[in-house]
Amino acid sequence: MKILLVDDEPAIATALAPVLLSQGHAITNADSAAGALQAAEQGDFELVLLDLGLPDADGIEIIGKLKQLTEATIIILSARHLEAEKVRALDEGADDYVNKPFGIEELLARIRAAARRRENAATPQKFVSDQLSVDFTRHEVRLMGEEIKLSPKEFALLEVLCRHAGQVVTHRKLLIAGWSDPHADGQYLRSYVALLRQKLEEDASEPQLILTEPGVGYRLAVLPL
Amino acid sequence: MALSSTIRTRSGNAYDLRSLALDLAIFAIATAGTWAAQEWDRPRTAVLVYVLGVMIVGGRSGLARGIAAGVVASLIYNFFLSEPRFELVVTSLDEAIPLIAFNISAVLSGAMAGRLKDSVSLARIAEARNAHLLRLSDGLQRAISVGDVLGISRASLPFDQVLGLDIFLLRSELLFPADGAGPPIGAAQLLADEARRGASTVCALNGSAGQLGFVRFLLEETASPGRRPDLQGIANILGLAVDRCLLLDRLSETEAQRKSEDLKAAILSSVSHDLRTPLTAIEAAATSLRSFDQRLSPKDRADMLATISEQCGKLNRYTANLLDMGRIQAGIPAYQFVEVDVVEILGVVLASLREAYPAQEIAKQITVDSAVVQANPAMLEQVIFNLAENAILHGASERPVFLVLTRVGEAVVLEVVDFGPGIPRDEQRLVFDKFYRSHATSHRDGNGLGLHIANGFVEAFGGRIAIVSPHFGQRGTRLVVELPLAHPSEVPQERIGTWE
Repeated sequence: MKILLVDDEPAIATALAPVLLSQGHAITNADSAAGALQAAEQGDFELVLLDLGLPDADGIEIIGKLKQLTEATIIILSARHLEAEKVRALDEGADDYVNKPFGIEELLARIRAAARRRENAATPQKFVSDQLSVDFTRHEVRLMGEEIKLSPKEFALLEVLCRHAGQVVTHRKLLIAGWSDPHADGQYLRSYVALLRQKLEEDASEPQLILTEPGVGYRLAVLPL
Repeated sequence: MALSSTIRTRSGNAYDLRSLALDLAIFAIATAGTWAAQEWDRPRTAVLVYVLGVMIVGGRSGLARGIAAGVVASLIYNFFLSEPRFELVVTSLDEAIPLIAFNISAVLSGAMAGRLKDSVSLARIAEARNAHLLRLSDGLQRAISVGDVLGISRASLPFDQVLGLDIFLLRSELLFPADGAGPPIGAAQLLADEARRGASTVCALNGSAGQLGFVRFLLEETASPGRRPDLQGIANILGLAVDRCLLLDRLSETEAQRKSEDLKAAILSSVSHDLRTPLTAIEAAATSLRSFDQRLSPKDRADMLATISEQCGKLNRYTANLLDMGRIQAGIPAYQFVEVDVVEILGVVLASLREAYPAQEIAKQITVDSAVVQANPAMLEQVIFNLAENAILHGASERPVFLVLTRVGEAVVLEVVDFGPGIPRDEQRLVFDKFYRSHATSHRDGNGLGLHIANGFVEAFGGRIAIVSPHFGQRGTRLVVELPLAHPSEVPQERIGTWE
C-alpha cells in the first residue's frame, strides 16, 4: 500500500520505514498538517498514519480535509487515556487508531485490517475466517463450522463488526446499526454484546473474538481469509 | 463633662428634660419661699431659703445649672424681693452679701456635685470599656486569620464613639489593608490622611517581633482628641490577635512547603531510579547489539531485544503512572464519567496482564453478568491493572493471583488476592501514599505509585479500597475495591462462578 506517515518525529519514520518497505508498502513522511495536506493532494495514498499532536495544527482538524482529498484509510496514532480525542477523530472520519507507544506487530495488524477492508470494498456477501463465518444475505453464522442462532439485533451488531474486521467500531456506529439511533441507551449495546459473547466466545468474561476498546467501542479480533 | 455624654442611655434626652423641669420647680418653690419670708418680714430666712434652693439645684444638676440658678436668684432677689424693689441696685454690704452667698453656694455645690457625677460617669465609662475589651479579646480567641480579627473587631462596633476600624499590615515598607480593599499605601500617607480627616486616630499595631502595621479608628465627629490611650489599648489586643494569626499562617505555609519539598524529593528519587533503571538496561542492550552484533549468539541477541522491549513496557507504564498521579493531584471531574461495565473492563485487564506476565498464574471468579458503574473506562482499567500488578509483584510467584468480582448490596466488589508475605499492619494505611514502598519489598519492582493511583481513582468514582492482610494464616493480602453500582435497583443476574 502507499502509506503517508504524518508525524513530526523523524525517529518514528526511521524506525517504521524499513519494516513497512519489507512488507511491500511504500512510505512517505510529512512532518506537519500543511505538509500532510499537500502530500495528500499530490500523491495517491491508500493509508494515512496520522499523529494527532502536530506542530502547526490539531491532527483532528485535518481529518475532514484529508477525507476530501483522498480515499485513503486513516489510522490515528494517539496516547492512551485520550478516549474522548479518539472518539472525536473516529467521528470525524478516521477509521482506526493505535495507542502510542505501539509495537510493530500491533501497527502491522491495523494496516492489514485496513488493507483487507479496502480489498473487500464492494460490500461482500460473506465474512469468512478460520473460526467464524457470517453470511450477510442469509443471516447465517457458523462458529468452527457449527451453526449459531442469533437474534436480528445480535446479527446486526456482528455484521458491522465483521464488515470492519480488525478495526475499531465506535459505540455510536453500533447504536446506529442496532437501533438506528446514535443516542440510544448504551446499556442495550452492552447487553447485546454480552449475549453475542456468550454465544461466540469460549469464555465471555475474557473475550478473544469481540474485544472491548474501553471508552471507544468494540473490535472484532479476527480478519477474513 | 464631654465624657458624660459619651455613655448615654437611649432615653437620655427625655431624662434631661425631666431633670430640667424638676430644677425649675425647685427653683420656683425656693423663689416662692423667699418671697413669702420677705413678705412676712423675715429677710434672713428669705435669704437662707433661696441659698438652699440654689444649692439643691447646683448639687442636683452640676456646676453650670447651679451657677445659672445663682445668677438668676441674685437678679430676682435684687430686683423683686429686696428693698428697693424693681431696681437693680446694691447700696449696702447687707444687700451684697446675700447675692455673693447665692453665687458662692451655687459654685461650691455645683462643683462638688459635678465632680461626683463626673467620677461616677468616668467609672461607668471605664467599666464599659473594660467589658468591651474583654468581649473583644474573648471573641478574638476564635480568630485564625487576620480577616477573622478584622471581622470580629468590626462586629463589636460602633462602641464608645468608635464607628469603624481598619487594619493595615506592614509588608516591605508598605501598608496593605487587611481586608484587601484598596491598594497598599505608605505609612506617611496614612498619618497624613489622619490629620486631614480629623475624625480618625491611627495607632500602632504591635506584635512580638516589632510593629506589624497600624490600626485606624474612625471616630464620631464629636469625639475628644484625648482618646489615644484607650484606643491604643484596643490596638494592643488586636496586635496580639493579628500576631498569632500571622504566626499560624507562616506555620501552615511552612508545613505546605515541607510537604511539597518532600513530594519533589520523592518524585526526583523515583524518576532517577524508575526511569534510569530501564533506560540503563535499554542502553546496555542496544549498544551491545550495535557493537557486538556478529559475535553474539542468536539466543543472546533475542534476549537483548526482549529486554529492550520489556523495559520499554516498564517505562511506558511508569510514565502513565506519573501522568495519572498528576491527574489525581489536579482533581478528576465526575462529569467525565460514563457508564462502564466492570466485567468488560476486567476482561480487558486480564488480557493485558496475561500478556505482560505470561508466567504468572491468574485465576478469576466472576459471579455477575454485568456490573455497571459510573467511571472513566481507561482509569478503571488502570485501577484493576495496578491492583493486580501489585499482587503479582508482591505476592508469592509460585501461587496464583485471584481476581474475584461479586455484587454486595448496592455495590460491586472486586477482590484482588495474593499469597505473598502480606502488608504489616502499621504499613497498611501508608501503602496508598505516593511513592510508598514497603520496607519488606522495596528491592522488588514497582514504583510506589500503583496503589496510590488505584486509590485516587476509586475515590473519584465514589468507591473505596480496603486492605485485609494477612488473610491466609500469617500470609497474603486481599485488596477489596467497592464501587457503587450505577443502577442498584436492577435485579442482579447471578450466575454460578467457576474457578479457572
